[in-house]
Amino acid sequence: MKKELGFFIGCTIPLKLPHLEKAFRDVANILGLKLREMEGVSCCPEPVSLQSLNMDTWVTLGARNLAIAEKMGVDILTICSGCYETLKTVSVLLKEDKEYLKKINAILNKINYNYTGKTKVYHFVELFSEPEWLDKIKSLVVKPLDDLNLAVHYGCHLVRPSKIMQFDHPEKPEKIDIILQALGAKTLDFANKLECCGYCARLQEEIGEKLVEDKMTELCELEEGVDGLIAVCPACVTQYDRKEKIIARKSGKELDIPVLYLAEMMAVALGVELEDLSLKNRSVKPDKLIEKLTS
Amino acid sequence: MTEMLKKNADNLDHSFRYEISAKVGAKSLLKCIQCGVCSSGCTVTEYVDLQPHRVVASCLLGLKEEVLSSNAIWTCSLCHRCTERCPKNVDYSFILALLRNLAVKEGKIPKEYSSTVVTIYNNGYVVPYTGGLKDNIDRRRGKMGLPELVPPDLKEIQFIIEETGLGALAKEREDDK
Repeated sequence: MKKELGFFIGCTIPLKLPHLEKAFRDVANILGLKLREMEGVSCCPEPVSLQSLNMDTWVTLGARNLAIAEKMGVDILTICSGCYETLKTVSVLLKEDKEYLKKINAILNKINYNYTGKTKVYHFVELFSEPEWLDKIKSLVVKPLDDLNLAVHYGCHLVRPSKIMQFDHPEKPEKIDIILQALGAKTLDFANKLECCGYCARLQEEIGEKLVEDKMTELCELEEGVDGLIAVCPACVTQYDRKEKIIARKSGKELDIPVLYLAEMMAVALGVELEDLSLKNRSVKPDKLIEKLTS
Repeated sequence: MTEMLKKNADNLDHSFRYEISAKVGAKSLLKCIQCGVCSSGCTVTEYVDLQPHRVVASCLLGLKEEVLSSNAIWTCSLCHRCTERCPKNVDYSFILALLRNLAVKEGKIPKEYSSTVVTIYNNGYVVPYTGGLKDNIDRRRGKMGLPELVPPDLKEIQFIIEETGLGALAKEREDDK
């Protein structure tokens, strides 16, 4: 990576889940990751409905954000898989199709933007799983997560479609596991590991509920005992955390796996005090996990 | 099971396949060999009226109305496994997005999808950020020591939405937001 990074915080995290942004900023500070605030950027825009309604609207709004990065002379760092999917797809699409880029620029030029196709887009998992960052992380761990058994949820948009995302294996990804292992945690293999959270299947509530129930039921039955499900996307985090309670009530099953954001676990291991993180700010409280961390 | 559909060749839309494949990134539609790998790995395969390989077959056959009225094009969870696994590199999830775009042009839009553009049109964000809501968000961020948000110039966002053809939808629904 040659350029500085512009910090693209998105909307869902800063507006609805600011405690996740706080955890990430703490991690970035400790690791000495230099970020520049991106001012005046909009929603990435959200990949599910905008892309469905009108491809040109989706791409043009995305290209405006990429153009702002270009003007600042930075590449983009995202902390949400939705932003990652949109911005990376738009950047690849416009890099490969110069005619389309021309069409999009014709619109952007009218509001004084121009995108030449040079902005690169990264997700923080992509960054921190690089060997140099892993070494740095390992050297700065002050509270190893030795006692924790963690299940990783990659989510779909972080790794697929691989011809666009181009960083981890699309069906057998390992980058989040590698980061958690660098923090000392044990990560678990399980059958539903690669299943979608169902957040984007908006028309039928039952799809999401079934997917969440299947995954959480399996995790509850794992012999090792799961201390938490770790995700890197605000949609996945919200989906599992909210639906888990609803399903438990409906089905009478005892589902009690807390869902945490990767940056929160990194912050803990890198020495951020638990009271400065909002680990209890979710439906399923990570009480057992906190107990293990404080004992 | 889907009901048996009988249609005369005259009533098929033979140009439909090209209407799709002419779009950026959708040429791959024409390469489908109907192997069904997309459908076997599809997250929502039990919930759709047309499975992915049948959506593609219907596009190739020219069953435009059937495809654009199916629940299949909107039920997708966007997991991209179809695209990932296709041995002929048919980009199904992208083609599906284009099919939704075509359905939208015909006014077939589930409300779960149309409300997002209204929120972005009015806030620049996918989460409402005006009035009391904005104050609450700002206060919460302030308490955590997070920097102030500098939102986009709404005029620019609205211009893009209007210029690319979603202005009417964004404004039409403004009243019932």
